[in-house]
Amino acid sequence: MPDKKIRVLMSKPGIDGHWRGGIVVSRALRDAGMELIFGGFQNIKEIVESAIHEDVDVIGLSIHSGAHLTYTQQVIDLLKERGVLDDILIIVGGVIPAQDFPKLKEIGVANVYGPGSLVSDIVEFIKERITK
Amino acid sequence: MPKKYDIEQLVQKFKDGDKIALARLITLIENEPEKATEVFKNFQESNHESYIIGITGSPGVGKSTLTKSITKLLLEQGKKIGIISVDPTSPFSGGAFLGDRVRMTEISLHPNVFIRSLASRGYRGGISRAVLDITLLYEAFGMDFIIIETVGVGQSEFEVYNLAYTVIVVLVPGYGDAIQMQKAGIIEIGDVYDVNKKDLGGEDVAAHIDMMLDDSSATQSGWRPPVAMTNSITGEGVDELVGHILDHKEHMELSELIEERKKNRFAYKIRELLYYRIDRILESLINKNEIEQLSASIIRDGKFKIYDAVHDIFSNVKFEMKKKDSD
Repeated sequence: MPDKKIRVLMSKPGIDGHWRGGIVVSRALRDAGMELIFGGFQNIKEIVESAIHEDVDVIGLSIHSGAHLTYTQQVIDLLKERGVLDDILIIVGGVIPAQDFPKLKEIGVANVYGPGSLVSDIVEFIKERITK
Repeated sequence: MPKKYDIEQLVQKFKDGDKIALARLITLIENEPEKATEVFKNFQESNHESYIIGITGSPGVGKSTLTKSITKLLLEQGKKIGIISVDPTSPFSGGAFLGDRVRMTEISLHPNVFIRSLASRGYRGGISRAVLDITLLYEAFGMDFIIIETVGVGQSEFEVYNLAYTVIVVLVPGYGDAIQMQKAGIIEIGDVYDVNKKDLGGEDVAAHIDMMLDDSSATQSGWRPPVAMTNSITGEGVDELVGHILDHKEHMELSELIEERKKNRFAYKIRELLYYRIDRILESLINKNEIEQLSASIIRDGKFKIYDAVHDIFSNVKFEMKKKDSD
């Protein structure tokens, strides 16, 4: 009997102390039956290497520093270089101005969750995309 | 879309030392244990052996940080290390928050290390069903050492003893008095003991363990477990702890006691695999609705009839053995 779980890596690229958002979303994903690997503060290489070792389906990047475009682009570039970009769904959350949503999606982010997002929407989106 | 895995291709890459392939074979075997047959038949030529270390102790004693500190020293000696870190699965949602890797970021980019976080997925005893299978994959991958870090355990989850050749029991200051040390379970299984967070004290805990060990008959194998004191964050005392681990390894190898542990390791898994299949047959014999109905009727008619009710169910079970399609 297959016992498949959705595996998600939650990371905070770079250094900013806003930790709560990543924790709240992680907890919600746990409660939705997913296996959440909490990466915490990680640099770009650490994020990609963790995602590979843990063979995750999803990477969640929690960014509150304003550097979301730079960091996300770097993660995507390195995932591509390692040949695993197509196997991993990337979502970004945090203090992201609405005008940057299209830019993030353009570089390959599946969805963006700014302030006021519902965690239930995140759960539903991931389940929809990974299981179907 | 769910990911697709091509075993043949993954095995080929695995043999070239590709960590992506290792990670995916782990996923495959964890999710679908019946695929292990197909995967393992590719490794029958491999006779590489890794030395397996188990690290166990209560939640929050510093097992993950200690795993990181131990690994760091072993990496400096040029060793290849495979880490398996287990955290609990929720009995309610089936989800898990795996928070061990976050303590190991410092070593995570080293080319000779591989870290995998596992959820216990309902398995008891502080590990998960897939742990033995993953140790086999790590052995085929050529690891020198494998470190199994258990779930944060209580007093009686000692399954790691069945899989590791050296077990480290980690305690912290305030663990308890001499009476706690006399209890059966976790406190008995250490080959090496460590009192972590030594910056908070803990000399009394170390002294109590020492007394317990002096009174114990467990040293008949010729090994008196040493007691280390560490601060896993600063790394203080970790070199001494690693020294104890390597001494125990040498003791196991010279005395050939390691052969006993190896036998135990496979006997444990064989038993588990057999029981797993038998359990599935038994489950099919017992009607789950019947249990719920009886439970309701016992609450209604009197709880002291519980043994009669079980007797009734049991006398109705059809015990013809039929082989289910094997998994």
